[in-house]
Amino acid sequence: MNTLLAMIGGATLLFAAGLWLSLPRGRAPGRALGAVVVAAGLGLFSAQTVSLGSAIADVVFYLIAALTVISAVATISFRNPVYSAIWFALSLLGTAGLFLFNGAQFLGVATIVVYAGAILVTFLFVLMLAQPEGQAPYDRVSWAAPLSAVSGALLVGLLTFVLADVFQNPVVEERPVAQVSEAELADGVLADQHMATLGRWLFGRQLVSIEVIGTLLLVALVGAVAVVGQIHHRERGGPMHG
Amino acid sequence: MAEVALLEKYLLIGALLFRIGLVGFFTRRNTIIMFLSIEMMLQGVSVSLVAWGRYHNDWGGQILVIFILTIAACEAAIALAVVLSLFHKAGALDIALWQTLREDNQPAFTDPKMPEPRGDDPEWPKLTPAGIEPTADPDEIIHRMHV
Repeated sequence: MNTLLAMIGGATLLFAAGLWLSLPRGRAPGRALGAVVVAAGLGLFSAQTVSLGSAIADVVFYLIAALTVISAVATISFRNPVYSAIWFALSLLGTAGLFLFNGAQFLGVATIVVYAGAILVTFLFVLMLAQPEGQAPYDRVSWAAPLSAVSGALLVGLLTFVLADVFQNPVVEERPVAQVSEAELADGVLADQHMATLGRWLFGRQLVSIEVIGTLLLVALVGAVAVVGQIHHRERGGPMHG
Repeated sequence: MAEVALLEKYLLIGALLFRIGLVGFFTRRNTIIMFLSIEMMLQGVSVSLVAWGRYHNDWGGQILVIFILTIAACEAAIALAVVLSLFHKAGALDIALWQTLREDNQPAFTDPKMPEPRGDDPEWPKLTPAGIEPTADPDEIIHRMHV
C-alpha cells in the first residue's frame, strides 16, 4: 500500500510539473522538458494498472492511449491555435482507436466522421476568419498555470489510487464467461451483428430520446443562425434588436 | 480479455482526458482553445461511458455517447457563432477583453507580462482645453473600447 501511494504520488508530481512546464508561460523555457516529464508521469500512472492478459493487447492499448493523451497535452500547450486544432484531431483519432479497441465500432467511425470531419473543420474555418496575423500576445501567457496543473494532476492521482486500490483487491469476483447466457451474448455489446443490435436499441428503446435530440439539433441550428445573423444586421447599421 | 483490467485502463484514460481538458479551459485565454478543451472533456466522459458499457454488457453507454456526440455538435455550432460575434465586437479572441462582465467585488485583471504593441502612437492635434475633464469609470472605458 505504501509503495502504491509513493508511486502514485510521484506520478502526480511529475504530471503536474510537466503540465506546468509545457503550458505557455511567456518567454520562459522548458516546454520540451515539460513534454518529457509529462510522458514520465503518464508511464508511472500506467504502471499502476493491471495487465490485459496478453502482451500484444497491452502494447496496442498503450500505443493508442499514449497517442491520445500526449496529443491532448499538446493541444492545450501549443501557442498557435491552428496547431492546437491539428493536435486535437490526432487526439480524436486516438479516441476513435480506443472505441474500436473496446468493441464500439460504430462510435469509432462516428467520432472520426462527426468530430474530425465536421466539428474540427468548422473550428478551423472560424480560426481562419478570426485569427490575427502571427502569434497573439494572449496566446503566449496562461492564467494561473501552476495552480491548474497541480489541481488537475491531484484529481487524476486520487482517482488512480482509488482504482488501483479497488482493482488490485477486487471486492466482487469477476463473473466467468461461461455463466453468461447465449441470449445475453448475442444481444450484448460484443454481438456479431453490431450495427443491427445498436440500431434496434437506438430506434427501439431510445426512440423518444432520438426525437428529442433531433429537435435539439434544429434549435441549435436556429440559434447559431440567429447569433451570426445579428453580426451582419449590426454591420449594415440596422437596430440591434430589429 | 480481462474485462476488469480493460475497465480500469479506460477509466484512467477518461480521467486524464477530462483533467487535461479542464486544465486547458482554466489556463488558456484564446476562446477557440477553450472550446477545444471543452470538447476534450466530453471525449474523456465518452471513453469512460464506453468502458462501463462494455463492463456491464449494456448498450446504454454507447447510446449515451451517441447523444454526447450530438450535444457536442450543437455546442460547437452555437459556441462558434458566439466566438465569431465576440471577435467582431472586440477584434481579438482574448477572453480577458470581456472581463467587464465580472462581478462587482472582483478586482480588475491587468496583465503585466503582455508585450508592448509595435508602432508609435499617432500624433494628435493639440486642442485648447475647454472646461474640466470629466472623470470616467475605468471599467466603462474598457467596456466602450469594444462595444
